[in-house]
Formats: sequence, structure tokens, C-alpha cells
Amino acid sequence: MTGSFLKRNPSVPIMLGALLLVTFLVSILSEAAGGGLSTSFVKTLGMTLCLALAALAMDLVWGYAGILSLGNIAFFALGGYMIGMWLMTARTENIVAESLAGSVIPPTPAEIRDAVGGQIFGVVGSSDFPPIWSLSSSLWAQLALVVLVPSLLALVFGWLAFRSRVTGVYLSILTQAMTLALALYLFQNDSGLRGNNGLSGLQNLPGQGDVPQAQVALWFLWGSAVALGLGYVLCAWVVSGKFGAILRGIRDNEARVRFLGYPVEGFKLAVFTLSAAITGIAGALYYPQAGIVNPAEMMPIASIYLAVWVAIGGRGRLYGAVIGAIVVSLVSSFFTSGQLPDLDLGPLRIVWVDWWLVFLGLSFVAVTLFAPRGLGGLVDLWTHRRRPSRHGADLGPDRGSFREEEAEA
Amino acid sequence: MSTLLEVSGVSVSFDGFRAINNLSFRMGAAELRAVIGPNGAGKTTFMDIVTGKTRPDKGTIRWGEKGLSLLGLSEARIAREGVGRKFQKPTVFEDQTVQSNLIVSLKNRRGPFAALFYRPGQGDIARVEALAEKIGLTAHLARKAGELSHGQKQWLEIGMLLAQEPRLLLVDEPAAGMTLEEREKTTDILVEAAKTRAVVVVEHDMEFVRRLNCRVTVLHEGSVLAEGSLDHVTSNPDVIDVYLGR
Repeated sequence: MTGSFLKRNPSVPIMLGALLLVTFLVSILSEAAGGGLSTSFVKTLGMTLCLALAALAMDLVWGYAGILSLGNIAFFALGGYMIGMWLMTARTENIVAESLAGSVIPPTPAEIRDAVGGQIFGVVGSSDFPPIWSLSSSLWAQLALVVLVPSLLALVFGWLAFRSRVTGVYLSILTQAMTLALALYLFQNDSGLRGNNGLSGLQNLPGQGDVPQAQVALWFLWGSAVALGLGYVLCAWVVSGKFGAILRGIRDNEARVRFLGYPVEGFKLAVFTLSAAITGIAGALYYPQAGIVNPAEMMPIASIYLAVWVAIGGRGRLYGAVIGAIVVSLVSSFFTSGQLPDLDLGPLRIVWVDWWLVFLGLSFVAVTLFAPRGLGGLVDLWTHRRRPSRHGADLGPDRGSFREEEAEA
Repeated sequence: MSTLLEVSGVSVSFDGFRAINNLSFRMGAAELRAVIGPNGAGKTTFMDIVTGKTRPDKGTIRWGEKGLSLLGLSEARIAREGVGRKFQKPTVFEDQTVQSNLIVSLKNRRGPFAALFYRPGQGDIARVEALAEKIGLTAHLARKAGELSHGQKQWLEIGMLLAQEPRLLLVDEPAAGMTLEEREKTTDILVEAAKTRAVVVVEHDMEFVRRLNCRVTVLHEGSVLAEGSLDHVTSNPDVIDVYLGR
């Protein structure tokens, strides 16, 4: 808790440097700069950085405060929905205005609005803007909602859950139920967010129709890298001070923190809300690169993915979450891209797109059993952060002290 | 002597079992008190009630000069009012250094935002060092608390309580599992602490209680059986019957 920020967080300059290097290399090698990297690869990288930011926020609540939230993916999708509302509205407005411009009588703003509504909501058999879209023409309003909607949901849900002192696996189930309920609600056509169609065409930026996608992909890569860098610094600042010490105290011994006089619920609520806000921003940067957001993004498998990234990367350390998300999602997109030829083993034919999940599951089990510190634990090999080794004996000189296998690095 | 804590007529039942039965108890502002009693006498439940973990069915608990009622306040609020509690099993943040454990415990503003912007100043560092000196852990400030021995962890927890600057310290079996030497040191720490604040020690071990050399309250079946010096209560025939005689 003492010492300068950089001394307490030696991983910050390394992480920022790596981000800068990767972004720079990809930029000069990209299609937009005349290089050989395909636009789809640049987009994959940009999306991966957003997933890393979401994993970082997950690590904040799970790795540090011990709250295994399966609701973070809902915040992620909500962030995407909020920015998607503006993208769809603004772009459709441009198209409609263009097509109506040639008519004899210039269209009124109300006519344009109606035509836009018909375009967007035609797929769900409606033509009016639902009330929740009332701010959708304003970029700034929707940007604010990217942060506000997930935070508010986290605040209300967290307040209800934490003050009832729901903890552990029950809390996880509760957050999963919240996510599933939200997804099922959004699947309905009258939810106001286009049901199972979701919001689409998000990769086309309004007013930037002339800009090639190769350039747009680079913009989003830069944006995602900046967001991840800022998010990393913010999280490092939060967990390395007294706030972080109390979070870890809550994770390890909630009663002790309570009897020291700290309002445990307030701390949980603060970190859960912060995590939701960061996740919302990550989602708002991810979905314009993916091009489409729909309720299927919130299905339970997605929550599990987020948890698996953090677990494989190593929870309780920020770089672990980032490494886990990047490695697993890049390997995942490699296996599911269809580039890898099927493996014929006689009676068994390994189709990588299908079998990849089996390997992911196996590697998750392997990490849990053999490397509980995850990929991030590899970093310990060349830093000072070494586990005390007394060959399984007590670490202290007396009975009752930590045993070696219990000592969390 | 001014009264700091006044528990009167408190009862609590768990599924029909009366853990505490019409208990009354008074503590002065600077006093050392030992609470003894056989297993199931209600010693731990008594602590749970005072610290807000358990709500009594009836009775009142008055605190401080203004006679604030502690009933219905949260554990954290009661702790902020100045009640510190030491658990029977040493309960420290094992994943963090001794210094971090003590800094977190120091009496400072407790809200999430205050914690977010908190930086340990010179004064806080000095206080931590003074506390470490008092509990004999100066050489171990940079070590992880999980690496300490059982006795050192008990002292660290007492140090964390002292860092809170409580007016009342509730200590549950501090000497359990300690060597003779460690017990002597624990006695010294508690006696020293009781010079400026109220300290209640729940203990099984008669030898340890004798060394504390203080007023003793004997609990039996959830109420006070006898009170006075150790020699006085141990000569009480009721006490001999229910506790010592067996």
C-alpha cells in the first residue's frame, strides 16, 4: 500500500508498452497502410482487446472481491445495445434523408423520423420508435447511457443482493438468473430492441460511408487499445491501495472486515458498479466491430466464457485476466475460423469448429487442477513473486500457520 | 466509575434453546474483566449480541455516556462506535503483509470513497510501527500474515483491534494454543490495553485468568452465576458445583 504507483504496479508500464507496440505494428502492417494484415484480422484483434477489458472488470469483482458475477456479460451486451441504438438511428437517418431529398416536396423532420422508424422496426412489425429510443439521435446521450445503464442495473441489483448477504455460489446463480431474464426479455419483439434480430449493421459508421472498413477497423483497434490501457491503469490504481486491500479482505474474511467497522456491502456495491461501467464501455467498443448485437450474446455460455478467461489467465492479478482473455479468444478464433483442416482418425473425425470447445473445457480442468494461478502464474517464474518453498511444511515456525500449499502467491 | 456498556435483561433462544437467559452485565470505561464458564454457558453468544451479530429476543444494551442503544445497529456500525472483537481462531488477512493488515485496521474514515483516495501518511506509518512494537512484530512488518506462527497471528489480530482504537475490546480465548512464554506476553498486552479502555476476555484457562489478575464474571446457562475476584468466585459453592467441581 506504500510506495509510488509504479512501484506498487510494476505490470502497468509493461502492459502499456506491449499494447503500444502491438497497436503500432498492426497499424503499419494493416491493409489500410498497404500491409498484408487482413481487415478481418485487425477487427479480431480490436475485439480481443475489448474482451480483455471485460475480463479485467471481471477480475476486479471475482479475483479481488470474490464475487463470481455471471452478470457481467449482460453489462457487456447492454453497452453494445446503447451505442448500437445511436449507430442504427443516425445511419438510417442519413439514408432516409438522402432518398427523400429528391422528392418534390421536402420532407418534414416528423416524416423522416417516421420513415426511419419504419426502416428500423419493420422487422418486428412496428414502425414507431419505442420510448427507450427517445435519445437515440444523440451520440452524447447514448455514450452516457453506455456507462449509466449497466452501472444502474448493477447498483440496483447489487444493492438488493448484497444487503440480503447473499454470497458465494448463490450470488453467482442470482446474477446468472438476472442475465438470463434480461436475455429472454430482449428476445421478445415488443421489448423495443428488435427482439432476436438485435441491432445490426453496426460496422457502418454514420456519415463515414466513404471511409473503407480497413480504416474503420484501425480506428476501433486504436480506440480499444486506449480503453484497455486506461482501464488497466484505473484498475491497478483501485486494487493497489487501501480499497484493494479491503476488497481482498472481504474475499478472504468478510467477517473480519465487518468487525473492523467497514461497510462491506458498500464496498461490494462500489466495485460491482465500477466493474459494470467498465464492462459497458468494453461492449460499446466491441459490437461496432462485430457488426451485430442480439440477445443470444447474453446466453449462459457467454458468462461462462468470461469466467473461464479469467480463471485460465489467473485471477487476482490484473495481467492474468488480460492474458487469459487474449490467449483464449485468439486461439478460439483460430480453431473456429475453419482454416484448420479436419483431422481424420479413422472412426473419429475431429472437426475443429466443434471440438474446440471440448479442448477448452479440458484445458480449463487442467488449469484448475495443475496451475491454479493460471497463465499469469508463469510470470512468477521470472519475477520476485515466488512462493515460499518449505517442501509442504508449515511456513511459520509454529503449528497453525500457513502451509505451503495454502499460500496464495 | 463511569459505565461504558450496560447489558440488562437480555435473552436469546435458538430453536427453543435458551442460549442467554436474562443476562445483565456492566463494564466500566477502563477495566479488565474475565468471563469464564463451562462450554455452552453462552460466552460466545454474549459477544455475538454485543457486537451485533445476533439480535436478542428481549433486553437492552446501552453504550457510552449518552446511553446509545446498540440493538438493531449493524456490526460495522457497532465497530465504528468503538467495540473491537477478537475471534477465537486467529482471523487476519493472510494474503497481505502485516503492515497492510495494520494500516487497514487503523482508525480512519471507513467509507468506500475514503478508502479509494486514502494514502498512508507519515502519522499512520508511525502509528503502525508503534503498534508493531507493542505486539512484538516489528521485524515481521513486510511478511505476509499467513506466514506468521499461530501466536504471532493472535497478537497481530489484537494489534489490529488496538489500531481501531476501540473503547471496548472483546477477546475470545486469546491464549488457546499458545506456549507459556507467548501467554505471558499476551497477558502483558491485554493488561496494558486495559489501562485506557475496557477489555473483556473470555477464557477457559484458569491459570491464564489468574495471571490477568482482574474481576471475574462466571456465566452458567446463559446468565451470571457469580462475579468478583477469582478467589472469591472460585470459593463460591454454586460455581464449584457447576464448573470447577466437575
